[in-house]
Amino acid sequence: MDNARKKHPLVDTEKPNLLKDTFTYNLPPFIKFEGPVVENIGGKPVEFDFTAVKDRDIHITDTTFRDGQQARPPYTIDQMVHIYDLMSRLGGPNGVIRQTEFFLYTKNDRETLDRCRALGHKYPECTGWIRAIKGDFRLVKEAGLKETGMLTSCSDYHIFHKLKFRSRAECMDRYCEVVEAAFEAGVRPRCHLEDITRADLDGFVFPFVDRLMEMSSQVPPELSAKIRLCDTMGFGVSYPGVELPRSIPKLIYKLKYECGVPSDCLEWHGHNDFHKVHTNAGTAWLYGCDAVNTTLFGFGERTGNPPLESSIFEYIALKGDLCGIDTMVITELADYMRSIGIPIPDNYPFAGKCFNTTRAGIHADGLRRDTQIYNIFDTEKLLGRPPRIAITDKSGTDGVVHWVNDFFGLKGGDRVSKIKIHKLARWVIDQYEEHGRLTAISDQELEAKTKELLPEYWEEYKADQK
Amino acid sequence: MATVEERVKAVTAQVLKITPEQIKLEDSFTADLGAQSIQSVELVAMFEEEFGIEMEEDVALSVTSVGEAIKFITEVCKQQGVVIEE
Repeated sequence: MDNARKKHPLVDTEKPNLLKDTFTYNLPPFIKFEGPVVENIGGKPVEFDFTAVKDRDIHITDTTFRDGQQARPPYTIDQMVHIYDLMSRLGGPNGVIRQTEFFLYTKNDRETLDRCRALGHKYPECTGWIRAIKGDFRLVKEAGLKETGMLTSCSDYHIFHKLKFRSRAECMDRYCEVVEAAFEAGVRPRCHLEDITRADLDGFVFPFVDRLMEMSSQVPPELSAKIRLCDTMGFGVSYPGVELPRSIPKLIYKLKYECGVPSDCLEWHGHNDFHKVHTNAGTAWLYGCDAVNTTLFGFGERTGNPPLESSIFEYIALKGDLCGIDTMVITELADYMRSIGIPIPDNYPFAGKCFNTTRAGIHADGLRRDTQIYNIFDTEKLLGRPPRIAITDKSGTDGVVHWVNDFFGLKGGDRVSKIKIHKLARWVIDQYEEHGRLTAISDQELEAKTKELLPEYWEEYKADQK
Repeated sequence: MATVEERVKAVTAQVLKITPEQIKLEDSFTADLGAQSIQSVELVAMFEEEFGIEMEEDVALSVTSVGEAIKFITEVCKQQGVVIEE
């Protein structure tokens, strides 16, 4: 490592450099790369070119109705059909949200699938999910699906302790029988390698995938087996230098180059047990999985899966373009989830009620001067959610005046000054200093007080709206 | 009619809950008289009301001492055609 220090002379200017090439504000900030990334694999340096991601057909797949339902009471059929419809609008005509998968076991499962397909959307394509059991495959054939996921658990925890196989060979043969049945029926198998980040890769996973690739070479390309890398316990790690089986870069590299699985047949499915889920999914994209599997708002088994809406913004940041995505639907989906009793934490990125709400007066002052100072991107344009101020003891007059201007919808030179709202600001401060209040002040309370203390503005701006 | 100085001191005393006699021209509203952020805004609002003038927010809030406030308000009154006793 070169320890030579470098002088950094001040570049003085009176014109701010807002780095607009990256932080355009009308889109989420772009993720740009410089030069290749090097990972040591098998003792040799291997270069990865992340800039290629702009031209690759990376996409999102969804498991809201499968893994996403394992963490909560089941959705009704109507709810699933509505969510599917919204998801299609969100992903847009280019199929950024390419597929979503359904259980096939109950009458309700099959009715849901039929009704979603009856909507006639090209994307997301409906696929199935079954256990790697021949008897389950009948369900896929009956549903007339082109592709199904099948659970091919691959760590010895599962092979021996859960599935009770006597040997790895017996397990592999059983899995391959079902894959063969899929090929014979003209259905594309997607093998879900459950617990891959805790598996004996050289002892089972790579030989199994080798065999899958060999079998796939005997069928038309559109039937080639897909490989879903299931980081079932969230053990996957994105950092360079991590050893297998936890290294996501090495895992993908070996499957791609040693086993010969093309990128369009590789999919990452993560879990959030170590708070790594979104970054791990993005890492999988960069190192060669074309698909990342997600759920809306991250709902999924235990700690959940990569949040679909976060992958949407990651996608835009990597591609530098909306690519047909309608981000406004994220807000619609969040509102819908709340309306059917599914809570989303207030501080949850992109969708929580307060994700772009500031409470500190000094931040409110920044927002008042330029919303870009404390807003991640144009959340009003992309999500229909302008930055907000929550009024507490920390808000100060800056927070209160920002709230008032937002409430009356005043912009630019029409915005009222702090001087004009001092009575309301005084009321807020007295709530805490004189009355010992400990909770935030609701919009409803502020609205009532605004009408009482700022009647001239109420008359001018609210009377017009009635 | 009271002078600008008398009126500024009266308003300041009322907002900061002190007596006019405690206020000196060189006093800083915040450091010497203890005005909090909200009280600074209230002072500007009450000066506007007292003199019947409109002040530009950022400029008005940048005035730090009582003497400066008297000078600033006098100028604004003249600009806006408000009759005062200097």
